[in-house]
Amino acid sequence: MTGFFRNATIITVCLFATSAAIAQDAAPLDADRVIASSQLAASGERDSRQEFRSLDEDVQALKKEVLDLNRDLFLLEEELLFPANSQVAFFISMDVGEYFALDSVNLKIDGKEVTNYLYTQREVDALIRGGVHRLHMVNLKVGDHELVAVFTGKGPNMRDYRRGATLMLNKGIGAKYVELEITDRVRKQQPEFEIREWE
Amino acid sequence: MQGLKTTLLGIFLGIIAASSLAASDLAGQAAPDFVLKSSTGENLRLSEYRGDVVMINFWATWCGPCRQEMPLLNDLFNRYQRVGFSLLGVNIDDDSRRAMQMVEDLGVDFPVLFDETKAVSKLYQVEAMPVTIIVDREGIVRYVHHGYKPGYEQHYLTEIRTLLRE
Repeated sequence: MTGFFRNATIITVCLFATSAAIAQDAAPLDADRVIASSQLAASGERDSRQEFRSLDEDVQALKKEVLDLNRDLFLLEEELLFPANSQVAFFISMDVGEYFALDSVNLKIDGKEVTNYLYTQREVDALIRGGVHRLHMVNLKVGDHELVAVFTGKGPNMRDYRRGATLMLNKGIGAKYVELEITDRVRKQQPEFEIREWE
Repeated sequence: MQGLKTTLLGIFLGIIAASSLAASDLAGQAAPDFVLKSSTGENLRLSEYRGDVVMINFWATWCGPCRQEMPLLNDLFNRYQRVGFSLLGVNIDDDSRRAMQMVEDLGVDFPVLFDETKAVSKLYQVEAMPVTIIVDREGIVRYVHHGYKPGYEQHYLTEIRTLLRE
């Protein structure tokens, strides 16, 4: 009987030992699996982040290329439409602007209207702050051309004001730049309109 | 006689379809820029409204639905102008004085511009009256409406609200 109990005890102890050993073996296996899966997830996230970054870089590069292409096309178009030799550009500038609130400028070359530009308040503000606006660009043959600019707006005491300025333009070889300038004549308390060529 | 009627109806429908197709072509494209003199005497340029949702309404004094629509548009303007909504009424009459009179009679608050030379209406392929165009904050034409029928203002409202949320 005692032998039977001893054997049973030995068998139980053996069983416990075996199960403990199995459990010990199993525990590191689970931990390994968790670590491996978390490592996998981390690397996956890293990959996707890298992929996203490279995609973003590609988009930025593409945007830059489109902008460059747009600029090149614009310059090419200008060169083709307005070859440097026959090109004449007209600019408008304003100094102070106390006696004249600009509304529009009508430009005629050799009796033909080439532009009639309406200025918004923002554009006038920009001109008063020293900005220069390219009013028009045209190709002209070599020779004399009559240029007439009519300025419309509000003069002193907010009266409707319309004044013209004329210039005989001699177009030689090479580009020409013409400035239409509005200034205040303080002594007469009147605006002054001048057309001059840039040297 | 029946054949002639059918032909005329066909031509009429064809013209309507062609005109609606022409202006609808604008949807999804950048709104052509323009500058016009307004009822206040100021010159207004569309591109200076970039960042706002802009409704451009082409109208004329001789157009009945325009007269019907205008007070409703005025309500929309007064309701949403604080949150980045602008409305430009473009009048296409030959004589702007009549338009000014109608603006005063109807008590319109939004800016009315005068397209006496019809240059802007051509730019926007306006071939019916009224035409209402809604431009998003990026300056892209998003909705084009031809004519006006009671209930259209609900569409305008939904579209304006959608674009303001973007």
